[in-house]
Amino acid sequence: MNSTARSTATLLSDTWWVAWREIKRFQRQKVRIVMILVQPFIWLALMGNMFERMAHVPGFPADSYLDYMAPGVVTMVTLFGGIFGGMSIVWDRRLGYLNKLLAAPIARSAVVSGKMLAVGLQTAMQVAIIFVIAMLMGVSFRTGPLGALMVILLAVLLSLVFAGISLSFSAVITSHEALMAVVNFMTMPLMFTSNAMMPLSFMPSWLQTIAKLNPLSYAINPMRSLFLTGWNVQELLTGVVVLALAGLALGLVATCLFRRSLA
Amino acid sequence: MGMDEQNGQPVISVTDLVKEYRGGVRAVDGVTFEVRRGENFGFLGPNGAGKTTTILTLITLLRPTSGRAVVCGHDVVAEPDRVRLRIGYVSQDIAVDDTLTGEENLYLQGRLYHLDRETIARRSREVLEMVDLTARARDLVMTYSGGMRKRLDIAGGLIHRPEVLFLDEPTLGLDVQTRRRIWDYIRLLREREGITVFMTTHYMEEADQLCDRIAIMDHGRIVAIGTPSELKAGIGGDLLTVDITTGRRGTRDGGVQPDGDGGLQDLLLTVPGIKQASRASDGRWVLVADRGEEAAPAVLEAVGRHGLRVNYLAMKKPTLDDVFLHYTGRQLREDEGQEDFSRRRTGLRRARM
Repeated sequence: MNSTARSTATLLSDTWWVAWREIKRFQRQKVRIVMILVQPFIWLALMGNMFERMAHVPGFPADSYLDYMAPGVVTMVTLFGGIFGGMSIVWDRRLGYLNKLLAAPIARSAVVSGKMLAVGLQTAMQVAIIFVIAMLMGVSFRTGPLGALMVILLAVLLSLVFAGISLSFSAVITSHEALMAVVNFMTMPLMFTSNAMMPLSFMPSWLQTIAKLNPLSYAINPMRSLFLTGWNVQELLTGVVVLALAGLALGLVATCLFRRSLA
Repeated sequence: MGMDEQNGQPVISVTDLVKEYRGGVRAVDGVTFEVRRGENFGFLGPNGAGKTTTILTLITLLRPTSGRAVVCGHDVVAEPDRVRLRIGYVSQDIAVDDTLTGEENLYLQGRLYHLDRETIARRSREVLEMVDLTARARDLVMTYSGGMRKRLDIAGGLIHRPEVLFLDEPTLGLDVQTRRRIWDYIRLLREREGITVFMTTHYMEEADQLCDRIAIMDHGRIVAIGTPSELKAGIGGDLLTVDITTGRRGTRDGGVQPDGDGGLQDLLLTVPGIKQASRASDGRWVLVADRGEEAAPAVLEAVGRHGLRVNYLAMKKPTLDDVFLHYTGRQLREDEGQEDFSRRRTGLRRARM
């Protein structure tokens, strides 16, 4: 029992130190920080205005397209952030840093969990920034500070799912070009077959079917409720549980693949 | 246990180690050796000889196909965590994070070895001082030169006071001056830390300068093992390199020109003092003589008498280069690694854009 507790403590601390490096790196890369501030602004301003007329179409679920779009932007930014987890392992392998990590007496799974933690923390920060920008642009939000925290939680869990996917691929794919291609192949269709940008009712029926099955809806639907309509506890809980389980499962898959790739 | 008792005990013990990669490539093909505590042991061989694969197995990053490796008293397969705690590893890539400062790199490294903040601070000061980076410790690594990065990387490998430090090609891709400075640091760290160093290199001079004992590796096997002077002595004497042209002219005293390589070899072996004669891949003859100074004029004499012309003659005391050639029949090209390294770097740089 005692040794289990100790190894759990070690795993947590190893995870933190792997993530610590990513956080430090992030702080140092000014361009990335600027992009994080600018990107959601551009998305909201550009897409929001481009599709503004859509809100006038009868049956559109929000008063302005910007209101509708805001959770979509959160999802999109989260998705791209999640991919970064796997990319950083591919880079570390390339630069020899991965071997340095593995030669240290840290838990093998800490390499995966550390990268996931870094992705999660970064997502939380990014989504908080999007919130501020969205509020400044006059996006309405129904559920107050607690609702905002829930949006952040959903986004973080979604980013862990995507980090898990990209980390799993990064155990098998060693070139970042190939990893980027695979990940893009997945993210773009996922994004555009979801209701992130457009209400289900505006889609052809075949696309509606796909969109309903799209795992992104577990994040987008509860987020949109929190933005536009109010508390829907059951929807929110379902989303949180499904995403958390998926993130955990994919993290384990990544760890297994990663262990196997070393032998 | 006192230092004296510890010295001389094997700290690394490898038996019949084999590593076969998927696809059937045998990178390491039955290697057996021991490294004693406190010694600097070198693996010398060309690229692809299996040096890095051996190191990766010893530091528990690769699982051997068969055979056994015990490092610091623990089997690398059965108890990898115990091995990892006791060893330091500095890879041939300069694996420092250039978005962190030198100090932060060491701090992180210390944390990955489960050291507390105070220990890390104390050790960082010691190792930074040793590699002369104290003044630059708080600067971002991206402002460091290649040599400074390498020194920081080596310092990081020492942060947790390992019993053995593994250095994989410690001076690959560095210029000559920087290489010599790194050598000085490697000597210094042995003096100050008293640790065992296991290194690989494909630079003869480096192995000669730094290693107490050397294993020469080729095609996944150890072809010779010993101290640099033992290995050189194994060649059996001084080396003469001779380029001989077989002319069409008649011979001076009516003798006949020797017939082909075999004939010429027999002729050379009749020269007093010449113990061995063999033809190198570049067409020149390599002769081994007890006393090169006396053998050289005798060779000129004998060859001239048979109507042949000597275009080139050089004499030297044997170096590890010659040892390598002697055991593998091939020249160890110094520039090989350099090329390979810069190609990889260029690839990386391109990839970053």
